[in-house]
Amino acid sequence: MLTFLLLPAIVMFGVSFSQNEKFKYFLAFISFVILWPIIELFLLPKPYNILSDYLVADKLDTYVLLVSSIVGIGVTLALLTLDKHVQVSPKAYRKFYRFFAVFWVGLIFSILSNHMGIYWIGLELATLSTVYMIKTNYTPATHKEAWNYMIVGAIAVSLILFGIILMYASAKPILGEDAMNFTLLLKHAKEIPSPFLFEMGFAITTVGMFVKMGFFPMNLWLANIERASFYPVAALFSGILESAVIVGFFRFSEIAMQVNYDHLFIFIFIYTILTIFIVAFLIFRAKDFMRLFSLSGVEHMALIVLFWVSGAPFAALLHFGAHAFLKPALFLSTGVLESNGKYKIAGALRGYKGKKGTLFWFLVSLFLLAIISLPPSPMFFSELYGFGAMINTAKQGDHILAMIGAILFLLVLLSIIFYRFVAIYQSMKYEGKEEEKTVYMSELLALIIFAISSISLLLPSTLTYLRSIS
Amino acid sequence: MVDFLIGLFLASLIVALFTTRLYKLFLWYSINSLMLGMLALVIGKNIDDDAMIITGIITIIVKAIGIPYILKNLSQKFHFIRQITPEIKVQYAIMLIPAILVFTFYLSAPITSMINTNANYVAISISSLFLSLLLMIEHKDVASKIIGFLSIENSLFLLGISATNGMPMLVELGIFFDLLMAIVVINLLFHKEEMKI
Repeated sequence: MLTFLLLPAIVMFGVSFSQNEKFKYFLAFISFVILWPIIELFLLPKPYNILSDYLVADKLDTYVLLVSSIVGIGVTLALLTLDKHVQVSPKAYRKFYRFFAVFWVGLIFSILSNHMGIYWIGLELATLSTVYMIKTNYTPATHKEAWNYMIVGAIAVSLILFGIILMYASAKPILGEDAMNFTLLLKHAKEIPSPFLFEMGFAITTVGMFVKMGFFPMNLWLANIERASFYPVAALFSGILESAVIVGFFRFSEIAMQVNYDHLFIFIFIYTILTIFIVAFLIFRAKDFMRLFSLSGVEHMALIVLFWVSGAPFAALLHFGAHAFLKPALFLSTGVLESNGKYKIAGALRGYKGKKGTLFWFLVSLFLLAIISLPPSPMFFSELYGFGAMINTAKQGDHILAMIGAILFLLVLLSIIFYRFVAIYQSMKYEGKEEEKTVYMSELLALIIFAISSISLLLPSTLTYLRSIS
Repeated sequence: MVDFLIGLFLASLIVALFTTRLYKLFLWYSINSLMLGMLALVIGKNIDDDAMIITGIITIIVKAIGIPYILKNLSQKFHFIRQITPEIKVQYAIMLIPAILVFTFYLSAPITSMINTNANYVAISISSLFLSLLLMIEHKDVASKIIGFLSIENSLFLLGISATNGMPMLVELGIFFDLLMAIVVINLLFHKEEMKI
């Protein structure tokens, strides 16, 4: 099974050395092949041991892997026309694919790992390979941001390793070398002899993960990097890399919940609300699509984390799936939306002719309105479930009023973001000059895949599957 | 012996913080890694752990010899400026470094009290982590920041040895692999011209 999962990435790595200009069409086809082993994984009984107990496929990581694969397919399709929108050399193009393959290998290990060490190794591999993908855009600003990503990303990943070592040290007296195994740690969480040491490790790891996702205090870090790099990189960040980070958070927090739920909840609650508070105002001031979508991504990841620790894993996973499809779709659309300039929001949804053009602006409108949770977006339902779960959690303690106050505060912040997105949408549709823009078939196909995938999240069978994970 | 080596590990990192020449910085990083490798060898021999001995040997080959050699070659190839003046003046650094050491010993007291073996070594590895961060902060040039990042990795390795008597072999090898991958990426990042259209 592992061979079949890794095969598309290995073939992609090999083919990327080819000098033939047509190689990119073959690579787009290869990206579809990954779906076959993942569908096989869905059919197998869970948990399924892929590589001893180091790589184990359970319901959660099979879902995350499927979502990430669909994003990967969409991105490779959009990459076919990257050179039509931006200036990119053939050599840089080939290297982009080469590092995309390495990135994919790292992510498969990260997502499927049942071992803290292997999770970290996969994440580090994915982080390092992204550095070069950022640099494909040859400008001094991008060069600076690639270094910036390398250094801050390395610090974030180091923090994660630091926390992992402390968690390992806390559980080693009872589990020995198996103290890195997620399943065993979860099973013996209440027997950990030094819970404080584990909590310290968890807090440090969480801060490392939050830095990688652009949470407080690194809110603008990711947005600036995504602005400087080509738009498929931003799509990969929001749809795949953040999925790998968040799946790690899910695994670690499941154990931390068993160790001391109250400490975990208060820590995450304060951190995420602080992040959303800052991000809401940054979104209000955003003047270009990339920063707008990037900051909105931070807001949604904070909501996913908050729902997860509030005892609503169903809401968190639904929100996660919707965000993983909608955000890359929006990032990929920026290639067309910014055809006439990076900071031209007014009129960005005008000037599309023919069937392809009409379908494009319709889909982008749909994605823009879905990302701000307008019904029937999956995000609308996930937020309903999520806020409901937060109140249920508060009912069990003595802080119901504080929780209602916090939810109201969150709703005020979300309404600021809502207002900004609606204003931007109106400006895109009804203001500015009408300038003709070209939409290509491959990017339209990518958007259609994302639209179908988002809608399929609301199918009864999908919802039942997500409920069974929680 | 372990105390002596860990003292030299910390001392080499402190000296690196005051260095104003790039090649000297590479040398101090190499010595820092050599001490780390020897620590792994000595602790591995004391607790009879073959995996840690192998890790120690790989550390010496990769980090004490390989990486400084590659970085020196890169600096010659891309004509790095070899004068690296720290942003923090020496008189302030002299006060700041002991303050960080004392502060981290105090800060890590709740953690070290729970670790049965080598509690002081854990405190030293955490203070090394902060000093490595300081190394990254006090320099504007990229090469020194890379050494800072590599020193953070050394500090975490020391933490792994001291707090847990070594991480599983698989993880150690994975970390080495990632480190080599980081060097490849760093090498590519220095190639400024090849991507021009």
